[in-house]
Amino acid sequence: MLSSHRAANLVVVVGLVGVVLAAAETRKDYHFKVGRHASISILNQYGPVSVKAGARKEVIVTAILHSDKVEVDQDQRGSRVTLLSHLLPGADATTGLVEYQVLVPADASVTLHSATGPLHVEKLHGDVILEGSTANVDVRDLTDGHVHVKTLNGPVTLTNVVDGHVEITSLSGDVVLNAVSGPLVEVNSNSGKINYDGDFGGEGEYSLTSHTGDIEATAPGDASIDVTARSEQGRVVSDFSLQPKHTSFPIRAGSAFAGTVGKAASSVRLFSFSGKIHLKKRQTN
Amino acid sequence: MTCTEFERVLPDIIGGDRSFAQEQHLRSCSACSSLVADLNAISQQARSLQACEEPSPRVWNSIEIALRREGLIRQPSARALATVHTFPSRWRTAWLLPVAAALLVAAGIVRYERRGGETIAQQPPTATLASNHLPSVEATDTADDQQLLQAVAEKSPALKSAYEANLRNVNSYIRDAEESVKNNPNDEEAQQYLSNAYEQRAMLYEMALDRTLQ
Repeated sequence: MLSSHRAANLVVVVGLVGVVLAAAETRKDYHFKVGRHASISILNQYGPVSVKAGARKEVIVTAILHSDKVEVDQDQRGSRVTLLSHLLPGADATTGLVEYQVLVPADASVTLHSATGPLHVEKLHGDVILEGSTANVDVRDLTDGHVHVKTLNGPVTLTNVVDGHVEITSLSGDVVLNAVSGPLVEVNSNSGKINYDGDFGGEGEYSLTSHTGDIEATAPGDASIDVTARSEQGRVVSDFSLQPKHTSFPIRAGSAFAGTVGKAASSVRLFSFSGKIHLKKRQTN
Repeated sequence: MTCTEFERVLPDIIGGDRSFAQEQHLRSCSACSSLVADLNAISQQARSLQACEEPSPRVWNSIEIALRREGLIRQPSARALATVHTFPSRWRTAWLLPVAAALLVAAGIVRYERRGGETIAQQPPTATLASNHLPSVEATDTADDQQLLQAVAEKSPALKSAYEANLRNVNSYIRDAEESVKNNPNDEEAQQYLSNAYEQRAMLYEMALDRTLQ
């Protein structure tokens, strides 16, 4: 009897806490009419931002504010929309948190800043610039645009990014690229691992470099690449039989390799100071 | 001739002939004459750049991204082209600023690259690119790092350890890359390591000073 009474009390308390928390949250909706190639910028110190393709000439933003210690400042100049989470005195990572869900025209350019993130962007073909300290960055199904990502230790994942100019700098976050191709794909990492799984297509220049992070790249057996790999102190391995080529540095077995596969349409540079490098051939079933 | 009329024919005037009316306006209007002088200077810089080694696509890419991010340029559209003459007065010459900035950045990079190349050719093999052009981590004021960490700790105590660890890693990368360049001064890849390491350090400082990233 006593325990059921306690349970009932517990339910009431939990319910009340839920009501209080829900009351502290505020949902705000914003609609902006924009033209072609709109530019959307969101600066959100604490909390996630998710951007997806929506209506052709409209930006729809849903912001959930977790307390009254934070406001959303908005500004529109033509097709340029800016939203800023404005922290009020006393705000911290919990009370200053704002969740953004954003629908933009597919051709829009998007700039997102958040310390904590996560940042998520998908199905766009405009430029995308994402910066976050510890933010987890997830980008998928992008075509054509420039994709620039900077994180301190937030992991970065790009999936199905085609014909893009991709530049990623992450100090200690792991970088994973799945089906990423284009004229320029560049990753600059410090201790984070770099993992590429794709076809190195688009007659592009691919450069994956790190200080201590391992680099693993997987390509199909019929890839068309001119590849150079080198690690000053780490082990370097290739599953491919390469046609030898001239390099500006001496090739030491196990620490560097260089050569071509197929017609060598794309240039691939895998460089690490002390990380391991492995160029893998994708197994076909 | 009014300033508005003059600005309309400005593109034809730069490096070309001027009519009597245009010359008269230039003599009487200090704003337009200074504008023409600036444009001529930029035009000359641009011509001298043509003869230089072309910076990497990444340089142009970064400039483009920076300008686009500032909203100073955007992808061309038919609508934008149609409305180009309807800019308010204060925007008529605003485009000069990013153009001049872009040219100066490009000129600086080209000059740096040229100096780097000459230095490597002239110095004995043991000389380093790093020691000639970039301050070593030891030489840089470590007080800067401490100051940075202090600032991060004040704004976001939770992030201090992350910044500290990454700063340590970046400085270690710079040291390794400097050593590598020192041992192999003609090794392009070693120089690329150094460039990447400094890029990381710059990014870390930029993030630490960006209020939205703390």
